[in-house]
Amino acid sequence: MISPGDVGGDPLTEEIVELTGLLRRVVGRRVRDREAVDDIVQETLARLLAARTRLDGRAIGPYAIVTARNLVKSQWQRADVGKRHEHRLADTRDPVRPDEPLLEQEEAEAIRIALDRLAPRERDVLVAHVVEGRDTGSLADDLASTPGAVAAQLGRSRAKLRVEYILALEGEPPTRQCRPVLLSLSAGDRRRQGELDAGYHLLDCDFCASMSEPLFDRRAKATADEVRIPVTVDADVVVARQRGREVAVQAGFSATEATVIATAISEISRNIVRFARRGEVTVTILTDDGASGVLVVAQDAGPGIPDIDLALQEGHTTYGGLGLGLPGSRRLMDEFEISSEVGRGTTVTMTKWHRR
Amino acid sequence: MLMSVPDDRRSDEEESVDEHRMLPELVAHLRQHRTELREDWARRIEASHLLHAMTPQEIGSETSSVYDNYVEVLETGSVDALQRYARDLSERIIPRGVETDEVVGIVLLLRDVLARSLFQKYQDDFALLNRVLDAYEPAANRIANTVAVSFVEERERIIREQQDAIRELSTPVLQVRERLLILPIIGVLDAQRATQLTDQLLRGIRIHRAKVVVVDITGVADIDTSVANHLVKTVDASRLMGASVIITGLSSDIAQTLVRIGVDLSKMNTIGDLQGGIEEAERQLGFRVIRPEQG
Amino acid sequence: MFVSILQQGDFLIASIHAALDDSELMRFQKDVMAEIANHRAKGVIIDVAALDVLDSFGSWSLRNLVHMARLRGATTVIVGIQPEVAFSIVELGMELDVTTALDLENGLEYLESVTTGHRAGKSMLGVLGSHDT
Repeated sequence: MISPGDVGGDPLTEEIVELTGLLRRVVGRRVRDREAVDDIVQETLARLLAARTRLDGRAIGPYAIVTARNLVKSQWQRADVGKRHEHRLADTRDPVRPDEPLLEQEEAEAIRIALDRLAPRERDVLVAHVVEGRDTGSLADDLASTPGAVAAQLGRSRAKLRVEYILALEGEPPTRQCRPVLLSLSAGDRRRQGELDAGYHLLDCDFCASMSEPLFDRRAKATADEVRIPVTVDADVVVARQRGREVAVQAGFSATEATVIATAISEISRNIVRFARRGEVTVTILTDDGASGVLVVAQDAGPGIPDIDLALQEGHTTYGGLGLGLPGSRRLMDEFEISSEVGRGTTVTMTKWHRR
Repeated sequence: MLMSVPDDRRSDEEESVDEHRMLPELVAHLRQHRTELREDWARRIEASHLLHAMTPQEIGSETSSVYDNYVEVLETGSVDALQRYARDLSERIIPRGVETDEVVGIVLLLRDVLARSLFQKYQDDFALLNRVLDAYEPAANRIANTVAVSFVEERERIIREQQDAIRELSTPVLQVRERLLILPIIGVLDAQRATQLTDQLLRGIRIHRAKVVVVDITGVADIDTSVANHLVKTVDASRLMGASVIITGLSSDIAQTLVRIGVDLSKMNTIGDLQGGIEEAERQLGFRVIRPEQG
Repeated sequence: MFVSILQQGDFLIASIHAALDDSELMRFQKDVMAEIANHRAKGVIIDVAALDVLDSFGSWSLRNLVHMARLRGATTVIVGIQPEVAFSIVELGMELDVTTALDLENGLEYLESVTTGHRAGKSMLGVLGSHDT
């Protein structure tokens, strides 16, 4: 429970706590059950505290009302208030339904549309970073910029992509004011929120009121089906393969298949420790047209591999082992790709699909 | 802090407040007339020839439960309990041949029975009736949807389970004596079944603490190269677990496939027929084989 | 501790109790070799039942350990490879040319059969019963 005594002296936090009375009145007019009112008010306060660094001071009050109203609505639509923590961990949609594949198709289409709406330069940089795994440093070199500026631009591009994605799914907003307001909320740009009087707009515009929720709620979703393991020392290899196995089991693989995947992860993580000293392994659940699988990406900024064909040859060994690391992982997985640039680093991308 | 709330918000607010006032009234009405409404519903089910696989007593007790769950959803707004009940009900009635349209049918009947009774109660005040129905209809549709989806999901789960069971049966692992397993394989050995064969064989070795396994493929006409590869891998994996594999009943077609993919057949322990394979297995286990006909 | 090395008559039983990383595996290899020398062991059982994965490095170290032990006069048997792990080793393309047994009991039985004239371990065989009927 959040009570005024729990929180420190941050003025914005105090302001949020002072909203408690207002929220009680707003929620109380819609919900009769006193306990439910308390729950919704607490939940609203928790969400406000989480979002406070992203909001303009004047937007706090209106955002509080909008959030509370959304919570009241969702209470009647689907969720028991008692289960609110549960549904924040899981997917907020209803359990799997027959129309699920169609929805996924719509989502893929929405992502395509959203990407199209980015400026070509923005899109290229975002894709290079997220899909191809280029780091901000090497992107900055290409663009004659600094890593910090590239990171800031990536942040803005992501914020924009989120808004465009939601608009592609929900349709065009009712007023010209909507898009800039949603952008400023998504980017957490408080100055811009102030200029646009985003708070007032949220109260006035039902469309933006319902959209503001997913824009703030995205963090929990992004991490659910993906794990990232930094790899620097021997022990990390064990952690990487154990976490990878968990993800594989979660994706529906049998114990045998999950062990096969864990073995491949072990091989490529070891290569990072041996040759690059520092890197990262990402394991992600994939779904495509009813099939499921895992995507493993191992990335490092090490010395790179001068001759990839040679490295993929069985028995080619650099440290007196069996030379089975790369060719072995290729055999274990369904898809295997390696890209490397001498002096810049290596990225191994591999996929395994789950056969039903 | 100054909160300016535009005037057009009011109507929306009023509406939702209204809905929250209507539902409790609705629930009270449905509780009060539970017996007659439930009986009316059961009669209609019978008249529509739904659930004919069930006895009137069974229909009576299930309709009571569905009715109470239904009212509970209207009261709490949560479908969790209904969902659990619907799954449980589906599990019980699916084996008896109840079809999806029957389940959807009875829920829609209940929706109509209740709507009709509301209509009767409020028919003198048309505006009020409209508001009651506005509150009732979305909830009723959601209930129908929940029950139908639960039923279909439950049925799919049962079908999946049955398929798995059939697959397990198609590659039995037989323990003929301590530490000796036999896997007779009959029919088409495709990639999926080969994977399953591996899983069952390796798990069987562990469970039965087997030292020798005889895989009899007399009943398999031909295999493609990927399945042949898989078979070889399975033999190697069994050896790593400490068990040796004897393959019997190798047809000349399969032998050719194995040679074509470069399997060194001298490394594979292959024996002509199952009888010979079992004798070889017993010899490896240290049993003496006595052939009565040879004295 | 993640590993243990126990003496059983002329044999050593070296067990791995949790997933090991590469450096721990190398240390294990060294420790087993040292114990073989200390006890002048005739046979070694390596129990890997707790290993979640045996990748190319893991298999390669075990194989090396077996070969080095042989040079020191000790026969080695690897026991407890899990079904999934066994399949992954094969799928990876490893040719693990070592003797394996299902579990500790079978491993001891094997060592008994190959190291003749051995006394101390014999008592254990009693519980196995004889197969020579």
